[in-house]
Amino acid sequence: MPDKTGIRVMVVDDHPMWRESVARDLEEAGMNVVATAANGTEALARFPAARPDVVVLDLQIPGPNGVEVTAEVIRQNPAARVLILSASGEQRDVLDAVKAGATGYLIKSASRQELLDALLRVAEGDTVFTPGLAGLVLGEYRRLMEAPAGPDSPDAPQLTERETEVLRLVAKGLSYKQIAERLVLSHRTVQNHVQNTLRKLQLHNRVQLVRYAIEQGLDDEV
Amino acid sequence: MSPVLGDLFGFRPASDAAATAVEDTMYRALGVLRFVVLLNAIGLYLLNHDGFPHAQVGAAVLVVMSLWTAVAVWAYDVARRRGVLLLAIDLAVSLGALLLTPYVKGPGWESTLPGFWVMGAVLAWAIHYRWLGGLVAAVLVNGTDLLIRPDITRTTYGNVFLLLLGGPIVGFLSALLQQMSVERDRAERAAAAAAERQRLSRVVHDGVLQVLALVQRRGTELGGEAAELGKLAGEQEVALRTFVQHDTHARLDLGGERDLGEELSRLETASVSIALPGEPFPVPAAVALEVADIVGACLSNVRHHVGADAPAWVLLEDLGATWTVSVRDDGPGIPEGRLEDAVRDGRLGVAQSIQGRVADLGGTSELVTGPGLGTEWDFTFPKASQ
Repeated sequence: MPDKTGIRVMVVDDHPMWRESVARDLEEAGMNVVATAANGTEALARFPAARPDVVVLDLQIPGPNGVEVTAEVIRQNPAARVLILSASGEQRDVLDAVKAGATGYLIKSASRQELLDALLRVAEGDTVFTPGLAGLVLGEYRRLMEAPAGPDSPDAPQLTERETEVLRLVAKGLSYKQIAERLVLSHRTVQNHVQNTLRKLQLHNRVQLVRYAIEQGLDDEV
Repeated sequence: MSPVLGDLFGFRPASDAAATAVEDTMYRALGVLRFVVLLNAIGLYLLNHDGFPHAQVGAAVLVVMSLWTAVAVWAYDVARRRGVLLLAIDLAVSLGALLLTPYVKGPGWESTLPGFWVMGAVLAWAIHYRWLGGLVAAVLVNGTDLLIRPDITRTTYGNVFLLLLGGPIVGFLSALLQQMSVERDRAERAAAAAAERQRLSRVVHDGVLQVLALVQRRGTELGGEAAELGKLAGEQEVALRTFVQHDTHARLDLGGERDLGEELSRLETASVSIALPGEPFPVPAAVALEVADIVGACLSNVRHHVGADAPAWVLLEDLGATWTVSVRDDGPGIPEGRLEDAVRDGRLGVAQSIQGRVADLGGTSELVTGPGLGTEWDFTFPKASQ
């Protein structure tokens, strides 16, 4: 288990009770809460100076929203991790945040221990999925695959058979340990497969954004 | 008569902003028409006035018609000026010009002094007072025309007939256009209001969800009665979250179909997780309800055999040509042979009935179970069979 005290965390939530509760839990667990923010503007203003390793982010915050904050945080520091903590778990928003670079997602009804575990794993570079998120990601790959191959999507990302299998088991609620046992893989390999499914989506998302920018002529201004 | 038809056939002038805008446009178009028919009347008069006994009076009538055309175009342009007085004067000027025709032209004339110009007043009445207004004005104008006329030719009859038809038709179209415009306006406003209501409800729901989740979290940690409160809050949190997730989807008009994802998500509880593809998944309504019911039976099995709060997971996955619904639990599993035993003994086990119901829908079931493996159902359905 890595040293918890070393982890710098920023908590972004517009609900003061939640913000304080999460921050207190993290501090009691020995983590270093370097900043809190109540909205997207505050979060982005405090992020550069606070230099958190992990941003615990509510998606429904006063603008810029959680998805935009995620994208900007990852753009400024690709090594930073974003853990989404959402109350409503709006499917589209969660998927967009993951495509923007978030590597963890929990709904707020998760227990304190689940939150701490998730935060540690995200800080280590692991991905934290709920079965619900795995289902969304499977659905997204299906949509990308079935979208008519036009000039916009000549290179839609695809999952390997093994990645699909792993993701499906995550969606069915198996822990990484259970998956490793069932597929006779190492725990690390399972983690890598899950990470890859997100990495490909994020990469595809970035390529799409760049292509969009070029099409719109935004590159001329640079 | 329905309110809609009542509006269409009524005699009521426009009262709505959208309807008034339609009238504005129509009166502007009529303004152009008035000038065209005025030029026509003047041109015909200049060509033929030589033999008229009172040509100067005729010229004066044309001057009045010209002035009135200008005044009318100006006056009709603003809704508030379009009152009974304006429309009455408009019609009176036309009738007056008609009545002076025999005096100006003497005996044996064919076309009236204003000629087609009279259609300006008739159409103005039609636009404002709809089909009935158009009919009344057309009858008055044509009646006057026929009364003063020395003899009625086939051409006269044609003109009279056309104007009698044209007045009510334009009136009806005016009503129709106004009504469509009012309805579109109303629909646009309703859509804007609905969008705003949805945005507000999202904000409110999110706030409530936050508090419920917090109560659940803190309550569980405090234990005792607070834990009981926390559990209740947790149940409400799941119910509201399910509602929010599906309410904010644009509801599709699926015809005889239903979103299977939405049906399945109703089964979500604090211990049951439902994983969905993220977009509505429409299947025939009967299939959606039956599949949700089968999944419900599996989950009830989990509660019965594994534990009331035992976790379970449901996954809906689109596989292209087929789709799969999986239900899994982490329980002790079904011992090998027990299903077969049940069939042999003539008892149709719950599992057997589940398989039968899936087969009835054209699907196949696969069961992965065993000690330590939990129980995992995969139901696969072909898309073609839908």
